[in-house]
Amino acid sequence: MLALIRPDSWNLPLFLHILGATVLFGTIATVAIVGFASRTHAGYEGLLARVAARTFLFGVIPSFILMRGAAQWIVGKEFPGDAKTPGWVDVGFVVTEPGAILLLITGILIWISARRGRLMLAVPILAAVYVVALGVAWVAMSGKP
Amino acid sequence: MNTYDWLLVLHVTGAFLLLGGGAIAAALNLSALRRDRPSEIALLFGLIRIAVVAIMIGTTLAFVFGLWLVHEAGYGYFDGWIVVAYVLLLAANAMGGAGGKRDERTAKLARELAAAGDAPSAELQARVRDPISLALSYGSGLLLVALLAIMVWKPGA
Repeated sequence: MLALIRPDSWNLPLFLHILGATVLFGTIATVAIVGFASRTHAGYEGLLARVAARTFLFGVIPSFILMRGAAQWIVGKEFPGDAKTPGWVDVGFVVTEPGAILLLITGILIWISARRGRLMLAVPILAAVYVVALGVAWVAMSGKP
Repeated sequence: MNTYDWLLVLHVTGAFLLLGGGAIAAALNLSALRRDRPSEIALLFGLIRIAVVAIMIGTTLAFVFGLWLVHEAGYGYFDGWIVVAYVLLLAANAMGGAGGKRDERTAKLARELAAAGDAPSAELQARVRDPISLALSYGSGLLLVALLAIMVWKPGA
């Protein structure tokens, strides 16, 4: 039900793109959840900072690479060469390219936080902003306004 | 955007909440596997409840708007790939629900041990690493990935 008609050769990159995007959504949401939880659970800041760091390293980064790599693969098939991409594809680029910088900053702050044993408030806020950005992207990708 | 587009947005939103909720639960569960203190396990299992809410909302959205899309797109409710999707969604929910109930009992034990001195417990460790609970929960996640594949490839459509 994800699209009515599409060439079979687009299915694998589309599957990998959606799988990466959903895991990215879940793992960055986990960073936001443990980040906000660390503000209200005194005595567990170190634990939650380590959970955020591991989730970012083993969840967010690989799923971002899968999502973005598969997106490039399918864009190359759907809009080959210099074909102009529609607005809904451009929304995806906005979320993934400046979004990568947001994730990079979040990752650096998580690394600093994990060394200090307490997550900075900026970490869950930036993670929540990225969750919202992903929401905008999946509305644009599926609705194609 | 027409009706089909809006239905697809809501269906995909459900899919994101469902699979994303599974990813949240997995990340927190994997973290709990590495802990010994009951209070830490109780905290991580407690946070999984947020994932459970996302999974429940996602299941509802994906199923309801999926059925509506079947009608809107002119597919049959008993087309082979759609029946496979029903079975996978039902099985994933049954397995996830059974695993979740076992995890809830583990979380209750963790809270009790935390209140009684927070000393590491072999029984709690065994329950956190219970292979049946892990197989149910992660098996449910694998079925959801298979469901996503069915939605993309639509075999026989």
